[in-house]
Amino acid sequence: MFGTILFICSAIFTICGAVMVAVSKNVIHASIYLLISLIGVAGLYLTLGADFVAVTQLVVYVGGVVILMLFAIMLTGGADLKVVSRYGFTKDPGMGSLKTYVIGGLTSLFMAIVTGKLIYNAVINTTTENQLNMENSVEQTVSKIGTLLVTKHVLAFEISSILLLGALVGAAIIARPVKLGDE
Amino acid sequence: MENTVVSYFFQFDCVKDFLARMSESLGFNVIPLFVVAVFLLAILVVIGGLALVGGAGTLAERKISADMQLRYGPNRVGPYGLLQFLADGVKMFLKEDVIPTDADKFLYLVAPVLCIVGVFGTFAVIPFSDGFAITDLNVGVFYLFGISSLVGVGVFLGGYASNSKWSLLGGLRGASQIVSYEIPVTLSALSIVLLAGGLSFGTIIGAQSNLLEQYSWGHGLPWNWFIFHNPFTIVGFFIFFIGALAEANRAPFDLPEAESELVSGYHTEYSGMRYAFFALAEYIEIFVVCGTAVALFLGGYNVPFKIGGDGIVGQLLQAGVFIGKTFAMYYVVIWVRWTLPRLRVDQLMTLCWKYLTPISLFNLIGCAVWMYLFNGKSFLQLFF
Amino acid sequence: MFEIGLFSYLVIGLILFATGILVMIARKNIIAILLGIELILNAAALNFVAYSKYSVGNLDGHVFSLFIIVVAAAEAAVGLAIVIRFFQIKETAHIDDAVLLKN
Repeated sequence: MFGTILFICSAIFTICGAVMVAVSKNVIHASIYLLISLIGVAGLYLTLGADFVAVTQLVVYVGGVVILMLFAIMLTGGADLKVVSRYGFTKDPGMGSLKTYVIGGLTSLFMAIVTGKLIYNAVINTTTENQLNMENSVEQTVSKIGTLLVTKHVLAFEISSILLLGALVGAAIIARPVKLGDE
Repeated sequence: MENTVVSYFFQFDCVKDFLARMSESLGFNVIPLFVVAVFLLAILVVIGGLALVGGAGTLAERKISADMQLRYGPNRVGPYGLLQFLADGVKMFLKEDVIPTDADKFLYLVAPVLCIVGVFGTFAVIPFSDGFAITDLNVGVFYLFGISSLVGVGVFLGGYASNSKWSLLGGLRGASQIVSYEIPVTLSALSIVLLAGGLSFGTIIGAQSNLLEQYSWGHGLPWNWFIFHNPFTIVGFFIFFIGALAEANRAPFDLPEAESELVSGYHTEYSGMRYAFFALAEYIEIFVVCGTAVALFLGGYNVPFKIGGDGIVGQLLQAGVFIGKTFAMYYVVIWVRWTLPRLRVDQLMTLCWKYLTPISLFNLIGCAVWMYLFNGKSFLQLFF
Repeated sequence: MFEIGLFSYLVIGLILFATGILVMIARKNIIAILLGIELILNAAALNFVAYSKYSVGNLDGHVFSLFIIVVAAAEAAVGLAIVIRFFQIKETAHIDDAVLLKN
């Protein structure tokens, strides 16, 4: 029962947040809706019994990515920036126009239909016999994930640490303010 | 969900018996209803109690600061001014709720809610006693850091949405400070997780109950605490405390709301109940960070000599010990605020990135090496 | 009451993915496009965890979604750094102005 309620709430959060990201006219509002959507995804992870992944999602996205996005939005001029190009005429504002929405909507509809068909086939063909038991879904996943990370997936683990280091150094170097006399 | 308030009640036979009889007489299964009722009650008790703590925090701050500056402080409402925070609350309720014309209304309304949700969300895992934690998640520490980072988003949005220079500066400072100081805090908490071998508060506090098996009378005495486990954890405690002060936006790191330079930072434009939300969130967050420090480093709810046993009396004593330790830390936080001058922004960032983060990384490696060399034994266990 | 199964999670993942594509194509602000990418990555991670529970029965899917979260964080950091740098040079965050390689 609790699982069902949590699932419905999280699904509503996720889908409404995602749709609002697509339709809101303001980047900062969109990133707050993204935050709501990501919290909903964390709730969905919880209903799947993936407590560690859910909390990681919360820590990384709420504490890191969304704040980073907000900072970047503020550093790049804010939400309702009327962009004037170098050639002197005003461009359409950054949140898209009817044309882009029509193209984007058609593309995403097409991809949704294709993937939906794939998913449907996959689910029809999946035997449900080796499903995990719903009842003991909240078991200790942390220690098992830790063991997997340093045994089976140790190469990916090390590579991701190198990736993070590279991203850290790279981001710091790229975003460094331009010194006078450069360029 | 093996370890929650509900599971604590379910270990008594009389409760089970009562529920079975109720289900029989009413004709349907009352256990889900009971579970919901217990959770709701626990949440109400915790939230009500902590709103009180937040209110009392404002009063305590005024009284203690007055004491340190040889003043009287609030002394008109009630005996010794004890009801001052109620009067403040009523005043907040009755004030007009002003929304500036140029504010971003949606964000302006959502920012205090994010703050308060982030703070109250942490109480799902704060371990008041081994039965009366609302739940003992097996990723408790991690969850606490995750949900409390909502406060950073709230502070940032509060500053942005008000559309005022002071608020904007305060919000920027607040968000950068909270994001930066999360790193040393999490790293020093991680060294404790390493020593305890678990992310849940139950495991961590259980590991601090009694280190010397041959002396069973030493249960819950200070030498079992993780702060005295090895030299690295002592340093780790101070890093954690400094970082926690910064995360809770407290002096000497209260740059986001520095009243002498930014009026009051991110909540300059807020009034009435929304301002009260921000203030409440701040004062309750101090309780949260102090409680986390107590649970991680200072032995949590372990009662010395195991007085009271495991029954209701023991649970109450455990909660008393935990809250007592937390209030002692709370006093230190207030004391620090009225003693130390405020840092500059660049000094703040220097302190975090050039000193605290390297030291805490070193601490983490040091703890790992200590565990490897001495088989996880504490300083004390090496000698006894 | 409906049955919660693999299919419901996959449908949610599909909706997230489709909205992500829509956001990526319809928006002209680079940061808004990054928001769409986050949605798509989350859809993928959600699918991994759902399959891990309902179809495979081990925790490899959890590990994969952890890696996806790691990669998303790295991508956001570098991407936003590039956006900020781009803004310093061109004083706009509009994707149509990123034409330095054209001609």
